[in-house]
Amino acid sequence: MSTISTALRNFKEPTKEQLTQIFFSLPSVGSLDGTEKTLDQHVEKMDINAVLSFGVQGVEDSYAGKLHIIAPYLAFTSLDKKSVRFTIPLSTIRRVERLNARAGIYALSLSTWHGMKIIVQLTSLRPTADQFCALLRDALKIELQRGQMKLVKGFVKTCYSEALVSETSTVADNEREDGSLISEEKENAAPRESTYHGGLGLRFKFPGDPKKLREASKIKLWATYLRAHGRNLTLLRYPQCTRLVQVGLPNRLRGEMWETLSGSMYLRFSNPGFYEDLLKKNEGRTSTSTEDIEKDLHRSLPEYAGYQSEEGISALRRVLQAYSFKNPELGYCQAMNILAAAILIYMSEEQAFWLLEVLCDRLLPGYYAPSMHGTLLDQRVFESLVQRCLPIIHDHFQVVDVQLSVASLPWFLSLFVYQQYANDICISDSRLLLLHGTQGVIPSRTRSVCSSIIYEPSPSFHSWPAILKINGEKLLQIQDDGGFLNLMRDYFASLGDSAHPNSTDPRARAITRFQELLLVSFREFSVITDDMILSERRRFRSEIINSIESFSKRSAIRNLKTLGRFTKEQAGLIYDALYMAMCILPPPGPVNPPPTLLTPHDGTEEKPETRIELSTFQYFLSEIATWARNEKIVMNGFQQRIDREIAEHEFIDRLFFFWDTSCRGALSFQDLVSGLDGVMFNDLMENIEWFFNLHDKNKDGFLTKDEVLTLSESFLFIFRYEVGDAYLGAVSRFMTNAFEYGDALLPTAEDADPNSERAHDGQGPEPTSPHFIESNQPYLNLATFRMVVLADEVLESFFETDLSGSFRLEPVPDAELPVSPSGLLGDLWSTIATDSNKKMFNMFTDEIGKTIGKHQVINRPSIGRYTKLEEPKARESLLTPSMRKSSSKASLTGSSTAASTATLAPSSSSTLTVDTKGQPAKDLPQLPSSESLSPMVQAVNARLMERTPFAIDDAKDDEDESDDEIDANDNDDRVMDEVDAFLEAHDSGLTDADKEVANDLLHAEPLK
Amino acid sequence: MSDSASGSVDKSVQVKLVLLGEAAVGKSSVVLRFVSNEFQANKEPTIGAAFLTQKCRLEDRVLRYEIWDTAGQERFHSLAPMYYRNAQAAVVVYDITKATSLEKAKSWVKELQRQANPNIVIALAGNKLDLVQPSALSTGAASSSESEDEADDATATPGETPGSSGEPESLRQVPREEAQAYATEAGLLFFETSAKTGEGIVDIFTEIAKKIPIEHILAATRGTARPGAAGSRADGARQEGGVNLEENAAKSKDACNC
Ligand SMILES: Nc1nc2c(ncn2[C@@H]2O[C@H](COP(=O)(O)OP(=O)(O)OP(=O)(O)O)[C@@H](O)[C@H]2O)c(=O)[nH]1
Ligand SMILES: [Mg+2]
Repeated sequence: MSTISTALRNFKEPTKEQLTQIFFSLPSVGSLDGTEKTLDQHVEKMDINAVLSFGVQGVEDSYAGKLHIIAPYLAFTSLDKKSVRFTIPLSTIRRVERLNARAGIYALSLSTWHGMKIIVQLTSLRPTADQFCALLRDALKIELQRGQMKLVKGFVKTCYSEALVSETSTVADNEREDGSLISEEKENAAPRESTYHGGLGLRFKFPGDPKKLREASKIKLWATYLRAHGRNLTLLRYPQCTRLVQVGLPNRLRGEMWETLSGSMYLRFSNPGFYEDLLKKNEGRTSTSTEDIEKDLHRSLPEYAGYQSEEGISALRRVLQAYSFKNPELGYCQAMNILAAAILIYMSEEQAFWLLEVLCDRLLPGYYAPSMHGTLLDQRVFESLVQRCLPIIHDHFQVVDVQLSVASLPWFLSLFVYQQYANDICISDSRLLLLHGTQGVIPSRTRSVCSSIIYEPSPSFHSWPAILKINGEKLLQIQDDGGFLNLMRDYFASLGDSAHPNSTDPRARAITRFQELLLVSFREFSVITDDMILSERRRFRSEIINSIESFSKRSAIRNLKTLGRFTKEQAGLIYDALYMAMCILPPPGPVNPPPTLLTPHDGTEEKPETRIELSTFQYFLSEIATWARNEKIVMNGFQQRIDREIAEHEFIDRLFFFWDTSCRGALSFQDLVSGLDGVMFNDLMENIEWFFNLHDKNKDGFLTKDEVLTLSESFLFIFRYEVGDAYLGAVSRFMTNAFEYGDALLPTAEDADPNSERAHDGQGPEPTSPHFIESNQPYLNLATFRMVVLADEVLESFFETDLSGSFRLEPVPDAELPVSPSGLLGDLWSTIATDSNKKMFNMFTDEIGKTIGKHQVINRPSIGRYTKLEEPKARESLLTPSMRKSSSKASLTGSSTAASTATLAPSSSSTLTVDTKGQPAKDLPQLPSSESLSPMVQAVNARLMERTPFAIDDAKDDEDESDDEIDANDNDDRVMDEVDAFLEAHDSGLTDADKEVANDLLHAEPLK
Repeated sequence: MSDSASGSVDKSVQVKLVLLGEAAVGKSSVVLRFVSNEFQANKEPTIGAAFLTQKCRLEDRVLRYEIWDTAGQERFHSLAPMYYRNAQAAVVVYDITKATSLEKAKSWVKELQRQANPNIVIALAGNKLDLVQPSALSTGAASSSESEDEADDATATPGETPGSSGEPESLRQVPREEAQAYATEAGLLFFETSAKTGEGIVDIFTEIAKKIPIEHILAATRGTARPGAAGSRADGARQEGGVNLEENAAKSKDACNC
């Protein structure tokens, strides 16, 4: 049992626009299925050069950068993309004024709802600035109309920062030192109304020693910053903000700052009530994910008091379940529980839900996916970064055959929260390294606990190289994986210790190893930029995808209950065909588990398994069975090619349901293997039986008369492109004989079995007459069928070898036949690269071919036994006199017109529908009703006429379509440019003159 | 870790052992019991894998188990080959109170037999024996409460709600005979264990130690630079006998429960 996913194939690199959105932590377009999509259709976007000045002079420098409208947000980033930035919902802006400044200067003053003034000078050309302003005005108007402006006030009440800036004292009187609430004393008193969101820490205390954490002074610092620079939705991030984050976040503010910095706050803001609704909608639903979640609820930070109570456990359950409902494809992955448990200490459920969303989708893309491709990819990227930055360590590891990932992977996955090494995480934006030098200990844990570091794109890329570097010498002594892991464990355990215990300088002694780690990450590995990581990811993506795919192929084959008579290699070919079909016609989304009622509760419920539906099956079969595809060989004088399409016919549908032994309306890999096993290795007799069973719908060992007709149609379908008349003749003879024998063997009233007798009794008249054949009456048994088939040489050879042989596991060669390069258009051909081009080229040459009379289309036969046209026998001889009688309409002239159109629409003539249900034959007892017979015979006749006499060799094509992704490995070595840029002074990118202008603006009056 | 300093390296034979099995069957608990004779009621799930070592004395021979404890969730499956490559022994764990976990165990066995080291010694361990033992009932009221709590919370989880009655055998979903028959057929060592009470845990590692072709390992690693393998002075004959946990088990404690 296995699941097969083609999702990785469909990965698309983010567009430039998407990257900008990601940079500003904006919700991705259409991230919430359907809810916001309509607006995104015409999202207004524009950016413009601008200089940002802060509304209060002297508080901050002015910075040059780019101002973006990405409705409904306004965003700014300084030129270096890290010093200053903001992302503000337009709905928080209450007033925009054009400033009356020096000539030639175009400046705007923006006031937020809480009165903060932001001054931007638009430095682009005048018309651009005008356009920008117009756009801004429109976008603001839309927000006003949407009623978003009114929502702001209510929303900010949920943010602790608002309470913080309005409080006079830094620590409220009901707070403990660590920021948790004191409530025990006044148990009966109505709980003080706190409208802001908070985590379990409010009740169960925050981990860590508040004295050591210096909560009080942090609160003071942050309150000052937030009062001046905006907060939550309107936070402006100046260098001071980054420094404060490094100092650390107060416990109560932490959750909200994670929200703000990661951008998950915008999701919460724009989707009010979504979390609650999601839970309500899915109440009581179970899935593999919810089961896995249950297993881990008590195994997530179990030491924390909050998770020893039902309150904490159920909050954790709801958040994890909600995420798995929102993103069923990802569902739940172990490690998410630890992450969620950690953030729930600091955040409300709703906040945590949205942060989890941002973490799983954006910060850690693909880390927790069922294939874990993101994790594997980043491990590969990490190895390559180590190779680049720390070649000596890398080489040593190569020599002793140690895999870096054995140690790094768990921490990549759990963002250092794993296994008590960390209790404090912080989400940062892309450029800033946001971290806490805070040390804390989860109560009852004896180990020192370090903070963790979160970067974007992935948090671990800076700290891991730093860890390796710090431990460099010891690492070079390592001889195996075990030694490596032990060393790492010891190191993590000692993070709280002094980095220089033997130093005489007390200040140096005070530096912990953790601080040392931060320093090294900053100093030496800020060279590892986002762009570098993104380009490395691009470089290794296909390698990782290939290895994941080949792994899942191997395990899919291993997990087969039976290979049948196939070798593993052959099963691999079947898998390939299936995979190809799934890529082109993906099965519907992850199959939601059947309703709980149907799930057996004895613990034997099935694991999810990939199953394909009919349309995918048709594609699959067309890859394997020659008759399941229509192949037209087109010659137009310039080229010869094969146009291939999937055939559709009832026969294929029949096969689909025949193989669907568990009656699920969908086939698994195992079903396909077993199904093919049931036909590909058969001898003559087995094949006859197989074909018989395939058409015996109720499996009673008899075909009804209708089924005999359907079976004949199946023959005609399979033989539809055969050259010559041999097969048509055979089918025609088969029908005649089958009906003759069938009628002869019809039970009379005396020896009819009691069941059918009773049925006849009910209807009364003439029970002895064989005329009254019910449509479901047993008519032809296997023995008779076999006899009829074996009487015919052509059918016998079909069942002997051709049927089994028509299934070919080897991939179908590409549809293009090589063009001789010397040809007229050969050069043109060789320059053609894409599919659409090819189609155009094909159409073009076809047109030319038609004009010069060289265009020719031949259907490639599925069996191809008779490659030469046999002398056509007298057509009349193929039909018994009685049949001829009923088919008088099928005149030769009529069918010859059919022949001319047949090449254009071959499948139309092969799908015969016969409707005989409930129409008892009256006047022709020895034959099926004329209504049903005549179209059949007409068709046979028509087919006889339409044969295009032509011999075709099996055209093979070995042209390799190597349109492998060209590795966009533009290894732009921007490494050196960014060295230590972080620790450098934040260059505002402005000349003194510019600054003067910017300062002037601070005093400028609004234009009237 | 402590071993490398102890100087006993050259006497011990290094055996790489991997634990596999469905999530929450108790792999980590089994290892924890073996390595430091402890049990933690709510162990965090293993992310990726964890690494621990423990020494065993088998008569005059010292075995140093290098234990890779892997994550059980299905999606970590693709990482497993990284951990079972070159393993000389494997313990495949299932939970006797959960029938599906035996199915998963079987598929691990199948994978190991096809993909891993051909001489790998595989043991099948049916864990949580204490949950179905009447003797555990009296003590179990308090000590097994954590698993019952879990099940109580897990009202949405099918098949996990135990009967409120005191009939412990009703929890058993995998009959001993069935698993034993399978193990015999597949050529595995078989044990029913309880990480909680410690029952059967040491036996797994003892029996594996007896069955491991030590000479093979010695021959294969002799002369390489690897510590723990180079220049073993122990004589060739493999001896039957019990395995004693090294005295320094306590010392390695800090190495395991993290
Ligand atoms: N009653 C009982 N509970 C056990 C026993 N072994 C483990 N458990 C419990 O089962 C749960 C899972 O144990 P773990 O050892 O973490 O399971 P695991 O197989 O390592 O799980 P993953 O790391 O997720 O693959 C924990 O709550 C343990 O306390 C046992 O022998 N008896
Ligand atoms: Mg574990």
